[in-house]
Amino acid sequence: MERTSRYIISLLLILFFSIKQVEAQDTLNIPLKIRVGFEVSGPAQYYSNKNILSMEGYISTDLNEKRSFFIGGGYLNYKYSQNDSVINYNYTNKGFFVRAGYDFNLLKVEKSQGKYWAGIGLHYGLSHFISDISFQQVNYWGSESASIQNKTSWGHFVEATPGVKAEVFKNFSIGWTISLRLLLHTTTSKELRPLYIPGFGNGAKTVSAGLSYFIVYNIPYKKIRVITKKDAPEEEEDPNQQGTVNQQNGLRQ
Amino acid sequence: MKKIISRSLLVLISGLTLVLYSCTPQTCFDETESLLKASFYDYKLKTKLAPDTVTMYGLNSETNKIYENAPKLEPALIPLNSSADSCVIIIRINGINDTVTFKYTSYPHLISKECGYTFYHNLDTNRIFTKHIIDSIHIKTGLITTLNGENIQIYY
Repeated sequence: MERTSRYIISLLLILFFSIKQVEAQDTLNIPLKIRVGFEVSGPAQYYSNKNILSMEGYISTDLNEKRSFFIGGGYLNYKYSQNDSVINYNYTNKGFFVRAGYDFNLLKVEKSQGKYWAGIGLHYGLSHFISDISFQQVNYWGSESASIQNKTSWGHFVEATPGVKAEVFKNFSIGWTISLRLLLHTTTSKELRPLYIPGFGNGAKTVSAGLSYFIVYNIPYKKIRVITKKDAPEEEEDPNQQGTVNQQNGLRQ
Repeated sequence: MKKIISRSLLVLISGLTLVLYSCTPQTCFDETESLLKASFYDYKLKTKLAPDTVTMYGLNSETNKIYENAPKLEPALIPLNSSADSCVIIIRINGINDTVTFKYTSYPHLISKECGYTFYHNLDTNRIFTKHIIDSIHIKTGLITTLNGENIQIYY
């Protein structure tokens, strides 16, 4: 009985001191959020150029103060044509895409406070699209033409999206990301690479880059307490005072 | 509040700067027609030898010449008819005519967004030609594209 009491007292003491230790550290209450974002440059571009309609949105959920799960998707209706004395062709491409992955906030918790995001997203993307191609060429033999209709294709890609976002009003953020994408595979032949792959960009190249501008609505769903480590103040050692300090230490000893 | 406004402004300004860099128009600088590249060789010495004059035209198109008395032609660039699987070319080397039939398959190819599409051709190994001045024709690269590179060697 005496031994059991001793154990219980020891455990309580350990618990008490460990709680004391945690309370001694700095903590911040950070809201975890579900974010619903809408890409605005696509519709804005459509306003001035009716040949490209691109719509894109995403939902992301904070898993902790640094990492969030991202899932997004969109639609593209792309038309391009060139008609001059040398180059004559019409190209249309319609399709959907989805992206999924993780976003990482590289800001310190003290700076981000659940409102600011400067980091990078790493996503995998899948695109499904239908394209029509028709072209005409004039040479020595006269006019030659070809037409390829309703060609259904898939594209797989990965992307890294560094960028920034800031909360401008309560629960509303704006921001932009640069998208650096790598095409992994496409079901189109290498002869007829698509001019534009929904969600990826220029399909004639393996690497593509783009810019996206987002308006984001944030829904806080949980608050977490994050321990922020306070940097220990560094004491500059003065060589002249070193002897004195040692002396003092010596005296204390 | 001031902090929020200044950080948001920073986000906006940096984004707009990137827009200015992203809007750059592009032009086509590539070759847009796939032409058969033919070089001329001395059949005895087996060395490159451009003829004094070369005239070329399609069969029944004598009035519309590809080359007319072109001096020291190297290489000859011959257009193929993508609408057919063969074409017949009359080649006059130093005033002597020969007829060459090229057989091939054609397929569309994307050059680039700026340059559009063209036809590539795969040359058949079956060579049909008269031998008034031409000794033989060797196929070096059967794939005819917009890129430079010898496709056939004409020995005369």
